[in-house]
Amino acid sequence: MSATREIISSGNDLAAIAAVDAGCKFFGGYPITPSSEVMHTISDLLPKAGGVAIQMEDEIGGIAAAIGAGMSGVRTMTATSGPGVSLKAENLGLAQMAEVPLVLVNVMRGGPSTGLPTRVSQGDINQAKNPSHGDYKSITVCAGTLAECYTETVRAFNLADRFMQPVIVLLDETLGHMHGKAIIPTAEETQKGIVPRKKFEGDPKDYRPYDVPQDQPAVLNPMFQGYRYHFTGLHHDANGFPTEEIETCRKLIDRLFRKVEEHKDEIESNEEYMLDDAEILLIGYGSASLAIKEAVNVLRDQYGIKAGMFRPITIWPSPEKRMYELGQKFDKVLVVELNQGQYYEEVQRAMERHNIDKLTKTNGRPFSPADIIEKVKEL
Amino acid sequence: MSRIVMRFTGVGGQGVLLAGEIFAAAKIKQGGYGVKTATYTSQVRGGPTVVDIQLDDEEIWYPYAIDGQINFMLSVADKSFQLFKDGVKEGGTIVIEPNLVFPSDEDRQKWDIYEIPIITIAKEEVGNVITQSVVALAIANTMMNAIDEDLLIETMLSKVPKKVHEANLKAYELGKKYALEALEKGPVR
Repeated sequence: MSATREIISSGNDLAAIAAVDAGCKFFGGYPITPSSEVMHTISDLLPKAGGVAIQMEDEIGGIAAAIGAGMSGVRTMTATSGPGVSLKAENLGLAQMAEVPLVLVNVMRGGPSTGLPTRVSQGDINQAKNPSHGDYKSITVCAGTLAECYTETVRAFNLADRFMQPVIVLLDETLGHMHGKAIIPTAEETQKGIVPRKKFEGDPKDYRPYDVPQDQPAVLNPMFQGYRYHFTGLHHDANGFPTEEIETCRKLIDRLFRKVEEHKDEIESNEEYMLDDAEILLIGYGSASLAIKEAVNVLRDQYGIKAGMFRPITIWPSPEKRMYELGQKFDKVLVVELNQGQYYEEVQRAMERHNIDKLTKTNGRPFSPADIIEKVKEL
Repeated sequence: MSRIVMRFTGVGGQGVLLAGEIFAAAKIKQGGYGVKTATYTSQVRGGPTVVDIQLDDEEIWYPYAIDGQINFMLSVADKSFQLFKDGVKEGGTIVIEPNLVFPSDEDRQKWDIYEIPIITIAKEEVGNVITQSVVALAIANTMMNAIDEDLLIETMLSKVPKKVHEANLKAYELGKKYALEALEKGPVR
């Protein structure tokens, strides 16, 4: 077994600790409830670890600085909540297009707009899939426990460098602020798992960062080390220069999709809880899964109802193959989420069926296990 | 140990969060599970605040206190008391700051309500209003016997700056003294 340690902390602090352990050297951001503690804590930790944390003039500046740091070759992060993601959207698109790895932590709160700043929500599921205009494939992971606020942030850094694009880590107000025990890998263990970003080692004259196989990401060497390329959000050629050449444009977007889609097995992650003998399938993620777990236990112990839970940890791309299988196996399916049914629609699509139920809530309050138990009894 | 569920309520800015973290941390150090959650409004000061603390030997999944299962509540603001009192089990213990919280006769029948002037103790006897969080911690632990006292105090000291150790130790002692006196007298009916 790998080496672990026990930490007593909050989800936001664990995300910050994870970033530093994963080798993050730059944080650019702007504080916003309920994510501010990520910035607060990383501002304390990064300088001690030889890194830099900077509060920019706003959320846009935060991600712009993070992209710049990413281009210099270091691991980089920004953190915010839904309204901040809206502001960062344009630059997220730039990082998708130019293939700059970075990690964005979104601690979800009630929306739309400024919404419910201090209250929990899971309303940014669709936003995480396509924060910016245009075609690209989001990689979004979603922590469901305190420990995962650490492990999923670490995984996000590794995925960002592997696929050369932004990776979104979704927490929510409940997870970000709850305080308790987390058993997580030691910092050394986390460091052992780091695979350095790919680098072109040949003659700088031969360097063509975007000339890669159709299922692979760009190879961006750190800026200012002699390997020159053009950086743009426009459609670009093998050296990064803008082009409208028909085949180049087609291949570029095709590759942005295929680099993710053809390697889903490296990205997918989920949890199955009490599913083996279950008769009712509950699907949920993030902090809602804590209420679901409690409900599953009560349903089994007190009502003799065999419920079980499927929890996607990688939200995008969704675990569509596994959800399809589960849709074939279970007659009764209930999706539980703190929005009006954003993932419900994805589950319907993946399962290729419409007759599934949902339990939703959008008043800024968490589900209680009783909400779920009552709904399951009605099914 | 069966699960102990406690709720501290006040208004934003009073600093009731820390006591929750201390309880959770002490229980975890003891080898069990402790979870603290806080709910507050977007008002910086003055909005109702609630801190839920759950302590158990078994793993705790759902992090919030479930209404009807709360054993102990401490309240230092009337609007929070009115908003959150119904989460407390019938016959459960509620400690109020009598200068700021005004329960009805009906409330006093339903729950064991004790009156301890928490804020006055912190302000006048300890001499630092910020220590009310530790006064509250001492009251809750004395009434609930939740955590070994030495461990709780040790955990508390690890979470406050050295220069206020003395004041916080005094706050703990006073909180304990008042809680024992209140228990002796019994709930106010």
